[in-house]
Amino acid sequence: MSQVQTTPDALSADAGRWLEEHADYLFKYASFRLRDDTAAEDAVQETFLAALKAYEKYEGRGSERTWLVGILKHKIIDHFRKVEREAPIGEDVDEGPEHTAFFERSDQWAGHWNPDHAPSDWHATPAELIERGDFWKVFNDCLSPLPQRTASAFTLREVDGLKSEEICEILSISVNNLWVMLHRARLHLRNCLEVNWFKHQH
Amino acid sequence: MADNAYDKLKHSIRYWLLRKLPTCQQTVEKISQSMDRKLTLRERINLKLHIWICAWCQWYMEHLQLIRESARAKGAESPDLNSTPTSALSSEARERIKRKLAGEG
Repeated sequence: MSQVQTTPDALSADAGRWLEEHADYLFKYASFRLRDDTAAEDAVQETFLAALKAYEKYEGRGSERTWLVGILKHKIIDHFRKVEREAPIGEDVDEGPEHTAFFERSDQWAGHWNPDHAPSDWHATPAELIERGDFWKVFNDCLSPLPQRTASAFTLREVDGLKSEEICEILSISVNNLWVMLHRARLHLRNCLEVNWFKHQH
Repeated sequence: MADNAYDKLKHSIRYWLLRKLPTCQQTVEKISQSMDRKLTLRERINLKLHIWICAWCQWYMEHLQLIRESARAKGAESPDLNSTPTSALSSEARERIKRKLAGEG
């Protein structure tokens, strides 16, 4: 290690520059996952504090932002864990709405789609949707009525692509709980997006 | 006339299958699980047959895949800060973090 000892002044100069260059990106990253501005601000602050402490280990390897995002990911998962500890899972866990009405019919086809709630053709591609800021606003609004744990499970799986076992460990749930939560989140979100977004697009 | 007979046959097969196969309500649960675990052979066959005769469940599956692909791409999106001023860190929060960092520095 031929590096000169970093002085406190140099450190705070770095901290100021990090805020300028990365704070908005990190905040956007966190608020997309946490859907809560205060929690996202806390996660960004925690990230910078941890980054200051760990600065010597970073040594300029790789991009600064990638390094900061790596720390932020852990802070977000810490937040999901904390929520779980504050509201431990009980006997009667709320996994989310069942939406049985989607499959209620008065004819001989009970259990099949009720035409009023059945999916229609969306005519959309991921590339188009990513560009539409208003789509992601609806997306967030659709997730917010779900129970906290169900929404967290959905985000960890569908946004971050974590494995089932990792999510079960973070949220302290069984894999059967997880599958039910993911199913209910998808059933709810898909319908909500269709009603509040896709029906108005064509 | 031949077309008509063929359509009638297709129609009967479709209805016969729909009666034999799991319902849409049961199928959408399997569609979801197929995205998180490997289904058993029987589950896969039932799912494939159901999707083959049911456009609604076919769309359902396409939509779940579209949501996943879009959400993962959005989550990994490279920053374009100018395009989304609404989701920027508030100036109050920025000042608070700045003070906190200076205190620790």
